[in-house]
Amino acid sequence: MVPVSYYLALAAILFALGALGVLIRRNAIIIFMSIELMLNAANLLFVAFARSFESLDGQIYVFFVIAVAAAEVAVGLALIVTIFRTKHSIDIDELSSMKG
Amino acid sequence: MTADLILFFGLAAVAIGAALGMLLSKNAVYSALFLILNFATVAVFFLLLGAPFIAMAQVAVYAGAIMVLFLFVIMLLGAEQLLTSHKSGWQRPIAILLTLVLLVESIYLIFGRGRLLSQVAPVASDYASPEAIGELLFSRYLLPFEVTSILLLVAMVGVIVLIKKPKANN
Amino acid sequence: MFGSITTDMVLAILPEIALLVLIAVVFVTDLVVDEKRRGILAWTSIIGLLITMLLTAFFAQPGAEAETLWGGMLRHDWLAYVSKLIFLFGALITTVFTLNWDSVRFKGEFYVLLLTSTLGMTLMGASADLIMLFLSIETTSIPLYVLAGFLTDDDRSTEAGFKYLLFGAMTTAVMLYGFSLLYGFAGSTGLYEISAAIGAGQIPAAALAGAAVLVLVGFGFKVAMAPLHFWAPDVYEGAPTPITAFLSTASKAAGFVVLTRVMIAAFSSVQAEWQLMLAIAAVISMTLGNLVALSQTNIKRLLAYSSIAHAGYALLGVIAASELGAASVVYYFLVYVVTNMAAFGVVIVVSRVIGSDEIADYAGLSRRSPGLALVMLLAFLSLAGIPPLGGFIAKVLVFAAAVQAEFVWLAVIGVLNAIIGLYYYLIVLKVVYLTPGKDEQKALPTPRPQAVALVVSIVLLLLMGTVFAPWYQWALNSASALF
Repeated sequence: MVPVSYYLALAAILFALGALGVLIRRNAIIIFMSIELMLNAANLLFVAFARSFESLDGQIYVFFVIAVAAAEVAVGLALIVTIFRTKHSIDIDELSSMKG
Repeated sequence: MTADLILFFGLAAVAIGAALGMLLSKNAVYSALFLILNFATVAVFFLLLGAPFIAMAQVAVYAGAIMVLFLFVIMLLGAEQLLTSHKSGWQRPIAILLTLVLLVESIYLIFGRGRLLSQVAPVASDYASPEAIGELLFSRYLLPFEVTSILLLVAMVGVIVLIKKPKANN
Repeated sequence: MFGSITTDMVLAILPEIALLVLIAVVFVTDLVVDEKRRGILAWTSIIGLLITMLLTAFFAQPGAEAETLWGGMLRHDWLAYVSKLIFLFGALITTVFTLNWDSVRFKGEFYVLLLTSTLGMTLMGASADLIMLFLSIETTSIPLYVLAGFLTDDDRSTEAGFKYLLFGAMTTAVMLYGFSLLYGFAGSTGLYEISAAIGAGQIPAAALAGAAVLVLVGFGFKVAMAPLHFWAPDVYEGAPTPITAFLSTASKAAGFVVLTRVMIAAFSSVQAEWQLMLAIAAVISMTLGNLVALSQTNIKRLLAYSSIAHAGYALLGVIAASELGAASVVYYFLVYVVTNMAAFGVVIVVSRVIGSDEIADYAGLSRRSPGLALVMLLAFLSLAGIPPLGGFIAKVLVFAAAVQAEFVWLAVIGVLNAIIGLYYYLIVLKVVYLTPGKDEQKALPTPRPQAVALVVSIVLLLLMGTVFAPWYQWALNSASALF
């Protein structure tokens, strides 16, 4: 068996890559994908911990996270489409009609 | 090195490679495809960790529904090649530095916990069977389960509100 | 695990059940009523929320002992009870403010989203499990993302919705990672079991403090404290004003309830560490909020920075981590929700008529509508913390809690900030009362329902400042449920 801590290190790397994507990319859709990668890293962590505790709570958690992610992505992409209709861009640097 | 470890490191390399691919692709469609690959490998990890139900949900909902939605929107908007307008130069080094700090910290935190280094014992064969998950969802987790149904309904309503074009007469 | 559903369990979620019924009623009414008569949707929501509040107040009151129900998902205690009433009040006043606003009041979806968000908040107030907590935070936030971007033909509104969603999703992901570490340390998702498990195990303090940072990112976003406040001014400015009012009151209060409960319940073993982190956040929030507010010309942005500063003051109560501290947070939000609702109410009524949110356009308001000007005066003086208004007592309580917990320096910074705050509130009042305006002869009418809501808010505000005992008893009861 693979020690659980290996999974935790993998999850940490994936989470860090997701966070990096959020910080360096300016394309709203890619930023959104990076957020999904971060959620996925957390999910991996939950399942790995659930395995090490031999309890199912962690797996149930992932089930709910997947459901919530679906809702969040749907709303997020709808907002991206709405923004694109008026601005013809999804570069987050161009979202600055308000200042102060 | 046992077969288990070889499998783990092979898949881990694919998962990390796919994540990097998503980050660095210039084309948003490639990014989405790399992310699907990443989700699929994570689903295999879920199987290895004794979570067949979650693995299936991951493939069906994440790799299936959510990523198809992403691809659909990218193609709808024709946003494959939208490139960065003006790269803010100072942001990138800071982002990389922050990420490294985060990474070192989390790995330190994880290996700081000696107990988890130990191998896990094999679990009973009915661990995480769909029956066991279903029973938990409808007993202990009944309330969150019901809340999820409301959340999904409302997300649907919200999306329709946002996407619907205003009528021509007003 | 629980065998069957008992009366206690049903009573604990009575507000949620009532809200759900109301959501269904609004949905169906929207379907069957033809377009011209959809004005009744808002009234249906108002009456439904009033009934929900009454049901909650009389039937959902917890006993002396806190109970954990629904398989450990929910806590039925005074903190949950009082916070639910605060959120329902916030939703009620928000709904009243939409009454004369044609771009939303014929849309059933608007009210469905608002009510669902309120439902999420009531669950947030009672959550005792990481799973329930995550779900309720998302049930609150996702409808709010849509509501902030609700005016799809207004660029600034969609932009506000999108910014809110992007930062919200980011911070939620970080928070979820923190939750997963917490689950890994404790082996359980129950907040109250986590604290016991952590006390028994040998978790390095650094690891736990690391998880606390991640969790605080998520909560910090919800309460708009520095350094996670950057979304607030843009979102507050761009969102429809009733939603801004809702965001800055009920949503912020919900964040604080969760923050207080989780920090005290789950992270008690690294108390010194999180106190330090929150102390830094509080100092930055107060100072930055107040200093930037000084230079604002848009009233919604001014109130956004003011609300960041108020998050800083309320944090002092959380940092104290004592019974007095928790009570002061509850009292702070009883007052703050009512005060800010009154302030935003004036902004909504005025901008309906003059079509602008610029402070300069408020010139001469006291001649055009003495009533509105008076409401604004009382609300702003309460925000500034002037006796005998509620805001004064609330500030005294949080500062006292900080001093009692030996954070005297924080209380001193708080008092200094309150003085800076007074300055910009007075500048706005000066424009309202002294600066001559252009259309001074034209009266500025307040529609009756809004007038009633404003009067109710102001009466409550005066009551909280003068008749101190019953409110403080509520706050104390809520606080004792945490310890």
